This record gives sequence, C-alpha cells and structure tokens, in this order.
Amino acid sequence: MLPELLQGTDAGGFLIIQDSASYSGRHLLKSFINAALNREEAVHVLGFEVSEEELKDGLKGSPVQRLHFHNAYSDPLGWTDQPAFTVHQFRLEELTRLVKQTSHPKPATLVIDSLSWILRHLSPPAVCKTLQQLRKGGSVRAIIGLLHADMHQRGTVGSVCHLATSVITVAPGMKGDGAVAKITKRSKSGKVVLDEVIFSIKDDLTVVVQSKPSQLGPKQIDPEEQETDPTANLTFNLRLSNTEREAKEKLALPFVFSKEKKIALLHSSPGSGRILYEPDANDDYDQEDPDDDLDV
Amino acid sequence: MFTELNSILNTTPDSFTQGEFVLLSDRQSDASFLIHHFLSLYLRARCRVWFVGLVQSFNHYSAISQRLGVSLTQAKEKGQLVFLEGLKESLSVLIPEDTDPGSQAMDFLRDPAVGLKSLYEFVRSSATSSAVGKHEEAEEKWGPPVLLVDDLSVLLSLGVSVGAVLDFSHYCRATVCSQLQGNMVMLSRCDGGEEEDDGDDEGSERLLKGLTHQCSLTLHVQGLPTGYCRDIHGQVEVCWRRRQGDGHHTQKKLFQYKVHDKGASFFAPGTSSAVL
Repeated sequence: MLPELLQGTDAGGFLIIQDSASYSGRHLLKSFINAALNREEAVHVLGFEVSEEELKDGLKGSPVQRLHFHNAYSDPLGWTDQPAFTVHQFRLEELTRLVKQTSHPKPATLVIDSLSWILRHLSPPAVCKTLQQLRKGGSVRAIIGLLHADMHQRGTVGSVCHLATSVITVAPGMKGDGAVAKITKRSKSGKVVLDEVIFSIKDDLTVVVQSKPSQLGPKQIDPEEQETDPTANLTFNLRLSNTEREAKEKLALPFVFSKEKKIALLHSSPGSGRILYEPDANDDYDQEDPDDDLDV
Repeated sequence: MFTELNSILNTTPDSFTQGEFVLLSDRQSDASFLIHHFLSLYLRARCRVWFVGLVQSFNHYSAISQRLGVSLTQAKEKGQLVFLEGLKESLSVLIPEDTDPGSQAMDFLRDPAVGLKSLYEFVRSSATSSAVGKHEEAEEKWGPPVLLVDDLSVLLSLGVSVGAVLDFSHYCRATVCSQLQGNMVMLSRCDGGEEEDDGDDEGSERLLKGLTHQCSLTLHVQGLPTGYCRDIHGQVEVCWRRRQGDGHHTQKKLFQYKVHDKGASFFAPGTSSAVL
C-alpha cells in the first residue's frame, strides 16, 4: 500500500508520518516530496526542523523549482527581529496566504516538518482545528505531516492521527537499512485498511518495498521469527540419503539385546572358564526360621 | 582528545564535518569525559569555541584539558575560547552586586518561565560578532565556530521547562550549525531507567528524545548491563542519524570504553585487554 500512497494521496488527503527517536521518518517524508515534485505538483514545505539547504541537499535530482520552502526554521518563535514565519502564524489565513503567494494552476501539497514543533507551542485543539480547516478549505490539495510520536502524550498523538486519512508509522527494521512501516488508511467510505511492509529508501529517494513481514491476522508473528529458518545453515546434516538410512538401520545399538547377542553372552565358547556350584550345608538357610542354626 | 574516538567518528583536528550537532547523553553513567574530548579536539582544530559550562568551574575543565595537552587559559587569552562559567554567573544573578550588572545570559534564573532567550542571545551575539571579524586585528584566523554545552539537563533542575531547553537548542542549531556552518556539542543526562514512561523523570527523558530528533550524531554512554567492572567502564553507542554517503539512514555502533588518566580507549564489545 506504500507505493499507492506515494503515487498520490487523494484530494483533501491528510497523511501523517509517525516516527520515534530510534528511526527518523524524514527520509520517507523526502520521498513523498520527491514523488509529488515528479508528478509536477507544487509543494510547499513548512520547515521547522530542517533548513532549506539541508532539505534541498537531500532532494538532489528532483525538480526543485516547484518546491517552495517557507522558513520557519531559523526563527520560529520570533526571538530575532525579522522572523520569516513563526509558529504562532500557524493559522488558516496565514497558511492560505503563503500557499496562494505562488501562482500555480493546480492546488498544492503542503508538507509540515514537523507537527511536533507546532504541537509543542500551540494547544492540540487549535492545531487540529487549523489542520481540519486546511483540509476542507480547498487551497491545498493534500497535507503531509511529520510527527514525532514519542515527544507527545498519547492522547495528543491520537487526536491528531484521527484527523488523518492515512497514518504511516515507521520503526527501525531488524536488519540492514530496511525499516518497518505500519500503514493505516481510512477511505472515504469509512473502511479502514491496515498494512505492514518492510521498505528501504534508495539514494534517489525512491521507496523499495522489500517484503511484507506478516499478514494481519488475529495474532501477529514477529517478523524476525517468521523469517529465520532454524534448520538453515546448520553445520550438520539433518536428512539421510537411502544408503545412509540402510547403513543406519543395519547398525545394532550397544545396549539393545538381540538374539545373537544373548547367545553369544550365555554360551561361552569352549576353552573358557566355567562356574561350578556345589551346595554347602551352611548355605542352606531357612528364611522362616533365621535362628535355626543357633544351638540353644 | 582521544585519537581512538577520532578514528571511530572519522574526524581529525584537520578535517571534520561542519554543521554537525553532536548529542552526548548518559544513563546512570558519566559521559563528561566526552565533553573534554570535544573541547580539546575543537581547540586543536583551531575553531573558536563557546563553552557554556553549567556544572563545573573553569578550573575543573582547565585542569583536565591540561592533562589532554590543551591549555584553556591560553586559549582564553588568545580569544579562541569564550567560557561562560554558569556557576559564577548564576551567583551574580542571585546575589546581585550593584557595581557590575554582568552578562544577561543567566537571567532565566530569576524567572525560569521566560525561557532561555537570554542565554541564546549570549551565544548569538558573541558568535555572530566574531564571525564578522571583531577579533581581526593582527590575530590568527579561526576555523568554524563551535558551541559546547555541559550540560543541558541541569537547566531542568533550575526550573526551565523541557520545551524551553529544546527551543534553546533549536535556535543554537539554526545559528551555529546552519547559519555559521559550525558545530555544536551538547550533553544531556538521564538518570531514570530505560523503560520508564510518564514516571518522575519524565523531563530528562523527553529532553533526550527531543534532542535526538534534532541532532545528527549521538554518543550515548551507559554502564555495563552486567554491572560494575574494573577494566571496562561502560559502553558507548554511536549513532549517525543523517544520511551518510554509503546510503545508510541510521548507522549504529557499540563500543566499550575505559577512561584512563590521560585519555580513553575504545574497543569492540568483549575485546577488552583484561578479557583476552
């Protein structure tokens, strides 16, 4: 489902990429920007966490002339004299004005990097309201936002994600540079589709889906568990060929008594020693009367 | 400066990546030896260094740097090092002496709620003023500016909120790393256990996560999971968060270390000379 999302979110779509400190979702965000640019859409980036140079550095090879960066990175709180965009300007009117500044026939995609920055300074209800207004306003075609889920309370993350049409949660993969993406997509009919894929991002920002770690069933199997075959790469052989099996069946085990073995043990060969038993009177011991031999 | 760590991080005083934000962190351990490493590294690299020392006195850093072969006093006299001694400054804020108003940098102590704008102003004004060449007169050319902070989590104890500290580090990063193409090293400590959510120590935990999202390289120092050991002082996890040339997004390496009198040695887990 990840390639479909990259192909283009529907009009009015709102996609959230959720990440944590252990794996940054910004690379995936860049892939989305790249994909939108390649579709000849105008992309407006509201950058709180990376500078324009750094973002464009990662987008080498993409047609960046349709990328409009709004610098909320250098002064998001208005500490210096000339803030370009402060976090308190995160309102419908201001954002519409920003997006409308450039003349472009198609409605643009708005990328917010990141929602966490805004949520840290504005109240969650206000942020949700602005986002919802933006979606319904029609000035932007789609919104893509990055959210550091581990920075906020669970309720805040939940309420923002409820607004989204799609949520992609990224986490580090088990091996190599693959990462796990859990995708929740809500279609207009209200149907919710869940998916989980392992993906990696190539240098040209294309996303390669490597495999599906597990089918979503009642019980999920750990991707690592499912992948590793315990019988692979053994230093010994678990299977027998026919000749080996015959040889194995021929072999007598040491402590199993076969007929030949019994005979060999009981009938000693001639010339060997023999036990002779002559009953002794003293040996005639009566169990019933142990004191029988006492001379009383 | 620890040469072994330099080879791990692929830096030398002559060549290092510019515009990096290095986050040092520790959990139930002590990462301050790394601060001394970076301090001596950047002084040797002929960078101009701003040091915000909030936990120790200048003499402490000076004595250790002396052992690592760098004289802080000389660097200070040459104008290479700007040292904000938080302990002294805070005293002058709390017990004001009418003669000298001092710098405004520690003003947040009076009212932590206003945030760290004043501290940032100190960094910005001194960093940008030198960048345009105030110290030009017949002096040596200095390399890119470097900001070191030891340590950020003490600000939490002084009543500053996590958000304010993150704002401060964000602004420093925007100015030092992006605008001036310099480097930044910050230390943050975390005392709580690994799996502690919404506990008492929530502040430092959140701060660490927020800083991790901002930085480009983390060095996380932990004690050994198996407990105290005389020959191995702990382990440090190095994690590159930016996209490197070889195409990895995040690259992690784990080393064990031992701090010596003059320097420290780093080795792959299990290869301590005491074990082999």
